[in-house]
Amino acid sequence: MDLDTFYVSVERIIDSRLQNRPLLVGGTSDRGVVAACSYETRAFGVHSGMSMKLAKQLCPEATVIRGNAGTYTKYSTNVTDIIKEDVPLFEKSSIDEFYADLTGMDRFFGCYKYASELRKRIIRETGLPISFGLSVNKVVSKVATNEAKPNNQLKIDSGFEREFLAPLSVRKIPMVGDKTYQTLRNLGVRQIKTIQEMPLEMLQKVLGANGTTIWQRAHGIDHTPVIPYSERKSISTERTFDKDTIDVHRLSSILIAMTENLAYQLRRGDKLTSCIAVKIRYSDFNTYTKQLKIPYTSADHILIPQIQELFKKLYNRRLLVRLIGIRFSHMAGGNYQINLFDDNEEVLQLYNAMDTIRNRYGDRSVLRASSLGAKTIGRMTNPFNGEPPIILAHRKQ
Amino acid sequence: MKFIVSSTYLLKQLQILGGVINNNNTLPILDNFLFELKQDELTVSASDLETTMSAKLKVESDSEGAIAVPARLLLETLKTFPEQPLTFVVEDNNTIELSSNHGKYALAYADGEEFPNAVELNEPSSTIVQGDVLATAISKTIFASGNDDLRPVMSGVFFQFSTEGLTFVATDAHKLVKYSREDVSASQAAEFIMPKKPLNLLKGILAGSETDVLIEYNESNAKFTFEDTQLICRLIDGKYPNYEAVIPKENPNKLVIDRSQFLSSVKRVSIFSNKTTHQVRLKIAGAELNISAEDIDYSNKAEERLTCSYQGDDMQIGFNSRFLTEMLNNLNANEVQLEMSLPNRAGILTPVDGLDEGEKITMLVMPVMLNN
Repeated sequence: MDLDTFYVSVERIIDSRLQNRPLLVGGTSDRGVVAACSYETRAFGVHSGMSMKLAKQLCPEATVIRGNAGTYTKYSTNVTDIIKEDVPLFEKSSIDEFYADLTGMDRFFGCYKYASELRKRIIRETGLPISFGLSVNKVVSKVATNEAKPNNQLKIDSGFEREFLAPLSVRKIPMVGDKTYQTLRNLGVRQIKTIQEMPLEMLQKVLGANGTTIWQRAHGIDHTPVIPYSERKSISTERTFDKDTIDVHRLSSILIAMTENLAYQLRRGDKLTSCIAVKIRYSDFNTYTKQLKIPYTSADHILIPQIQELFKKLYNRRLLVRLIGIRFSHMAGGNYQINLFDDNEEVLQLYNAMDTIRNRYGDRSVLRASSLGAKTIGRMTNPFNGEPPIILAHRKQ
Repeated sequence: MKFIVSSTYLLKQLQILGGVINNNNTLPILDNFLFELKQDELTVSASDLETTMSAKLKVESDSEGAIAVPARLLLETLKTFPEQPLTFVVEDNNTIELSSNHGKYALAYADGEEFPNAVELNEPSSTIVQGDVLATAISKTIFASGNDDLRPVMSGVFFQFSTEGLTFVATDAHKLVKYSREDVSASQAAEFIMPKKPLNLLKGILAGSETDVLIEYNESNAKFTFEDTQLICRLIDGKYPNYEAVIPKENPNKLVIDRSQFLSSVKRVSIFSNKTTHQVRLKIAGAELNISAEDIDYSNKAEERLTCSYQGDDMQIGFNSRFLTEMLNNLNANEVQLEMSLPNRAGILTPVDGLDEGEKITMLVMPVMLNN
């Protein structure tokens, strides 16, 4: 199941004047990208992931909205709650996509009827348009959902998966992106039908290990299970500047602010990290990352100097910086092990006090003075609740 | 150069010395034992540059000389012999011939001159300690020392000698053990940090032994002499952290509990804790100790309740269960006392009984910072 133009639909619920009007959600600055666009704008060639500047040129009459991740999460949770009530096993694979395992539900007047009623219930209770594709596995149902859109449903009967896929473009197979599509087109492959007629070995030769998966998907073969809960493996944050900068002080204070915020997320989720990374994208779009293995920790006074040290090592080209970000990974559940010699009680009590304030008044209510000027993306929810992260448009899955 | 020696006697000594030899040496000569023969006295030495250990053996001979014999080869051969006299004859072509009841074996040897000389101690201070006392002191403390290459001082055991007594301290910044003896004292006050490797060797040799050990030391080296064996090692350079300052003085909350019961509960509960952090939570209220752990990733959870005697405020404190089990395992008391003040201050574990006269042991364990 997939919520159609989810961000746009939510904005339209909040403000009904936006109904039936071209609408763009995404970054409003020159560097912004389109996170979601209404079907009206798609006629002009706008698609998500495109730069906002270009989108505005293509469709100047569109209303542009900045969007609010917190609101979207709330609406997404509403939908999740309904699905949770009706479906025995489901996977939330992103903020607007769900896989429901209806095995055994055919006893209730058939799966298709059951799914249709679920879809109607979601539309009725949340007001959000949703599409679904019903099939024997995840890949085919995803393709079917995309075919069903907007606001519709599609059922692929068991045994007819290959026929359904055959006439579609290879671009529609999940995991075929621009690159693979080009490779396939150069081979003269346009329709999935052609892949179905190719031997597996040929595709493996061209695309390597991915070839096997794509070949299987083209045949409608997919054995991946519906996973109800996924553990967060890492948390990260990054920031693209409106204007490329070389101001090291500003960069450094943004890093401090990011570290402070992520470290608080760790502590709130009772997590420790043992691998930290810094990422820089220069104005020439070359991206570099550097990571470091450290003992398990969630303490600001250990993480901040380590991150700064990494940044110092990484930032070695005298070039304008377009983006910086940090990531904590290799996590384990637990709390910070206090050190006999390095830690003092005041610092620990300070952390406790600051975290209590943040729990109550939001995560930007108390800050280090050095990170006051640096705006970071505040998180409204606990990143460790098992739900998928909010994926921004410019970060392709 | 020629000598005759009993096979098992030689093997026993060589196996002890073999502990010094590293598996990969940068200097190939260190893969050898040094044999120094002076009539009927054979001195065998092994070294890794930091630590040198030597033993004197009685052999049948009337010649002199010094050679370096490949250690691994010799040890493997000796292990296979039943008790019998072995004859070693040094040939001119740089081989040493070994004859047994079964046959003859030739090993290539290197010149004894190539072997690095052991350090001589200048103006050492000294003290004498019974072997068993030293072995106990080492085994009580060494487990608490650290492995961090960035803080080398913590990778050893701190020896603090004074005219009143001896104190041994080990810490890795998360746990700390202080073991002191008031019944043994040194001629003058001294402090030094001993590395782990020679201590482990000494612990193995001296456990249960009643012989006296002469400890000599100066700024950079220490020498342990007992019976016919001698061990010289380089000390860890640096200043040991001020451990006295981190031992909390006022601990109003006192818990007394049966050690083996506490240990087995912590062990059982910790199976359900997170596999990397091993975190357990102690909740103490009234005369009840509640030990719990959970691993959210796998939805594993455990909780146990124990009766204890407790004086103080109700409190909740989190520990790495590894530290607790290591410490409780290391004590042989029937009952232990855990003193605490605040959930972010160290807990102090001491045995209530089971100590020898003049023996004192204090263990410190740092908690984890629980969310309130």
